[in-house]
Amino acid sequence: MLNQNAKCVGGALSPGIYSPLVEQLQEHGWEMVQMPCPELTFTGLNRFWAVREQYETLAYRRHCRRIVKGVAAAVEAHVARGDEIVLVGLEGSPSMGVRITSSDPERAGRPTWPDGSPELTAGRGILIEELMAELAKRGLPTPRAIGITQVLPDHSPEAARAGLKAFFED
Amino acid sequence: MAVVDHQLVNGPPRGLDLVGVLQRLHWGMIVLPAAWYPPEVVTELLTQVAEHVEEFVRHGYDVVCVGSPTGLAEPLGRLGVEMPDTITPASDAELAEFLTGREITNRGQLTDAD
Repeated sequence: MLNQNAKCVGGALSPGIYSPLVEQLQEHGWEMVQMPCPELTFTGLNRFWAVREQYETLAYRRHCRRIVKGVAAAVEAHVARGDEIVLVGLEGSPSMGVRITSSDPERAGRPTWPDGSPELTAGRGILIEELMAELAKRGLPTPRAIGITQVLPDHSPEAARAGLKAFFED
Repeated sequence: MAVVDHQLVNGPPRGLDLVGVLQRLHWGMIVLPAAWYPPEVVTELLTQVAEHVEEFVRHGYDVVCVGSPTGLAEPLGRLGVEMPDTITPASDAELAEFLTGREITNRGQLTDAD
């Protein structure tokens, strides 16, 4: 969200920084701590748009577990300082979905699928799953979480802004 | 893409609206870990930042550091990546001048038409 360049080609809907999120964080005095993009450092900038099943491998799980150890350790340091932690993910993402991820067991081979979002399904992305597991393992509280909805077909900028405002005011 | 000092993003404003300038000029940012984290946490998170920077540099993106990228040179060096040009700007204007004066080799996904 802070670096739209990390998105797969065609996935960035705003240049540079996703402003609606940053505006709400700054308006309500939240500190910004950025999570790494696990897909960027696994399949790179030229990766295809993918669903969970394509990332559901032992190697990718290991990659995410390595990443979340660092993230969870940072969360632990903030919790020890008495900070409240909230998690902001990206709905529809195979890795960063909080309530909606993407799934298509048949997707494989030459990437010629039509545009659209039939793969969207309820559930968490892989990195978010691994992060929650690592936080639980460390005895840390489960953070409140919200996902940015900009890739969902029913995304409304106004509703998204209102949702973020309500979340960060809470 | 700008690799930015945690304190410049989250600390009290000192005459510099770093995020505002980056937004206005369409630069993305990677926020460095807070300096007060335990050293082993900082080391791990800087390693991950370096892996991101390596991928962007490999694809010809213009990467700069804003503020004090303490400890980033070592993990970047292990990946064969030189430290990006670095600036500690005193004002929005100084940062904007630094960013707009650069020869961009890769503007990322969004074109002028966007």
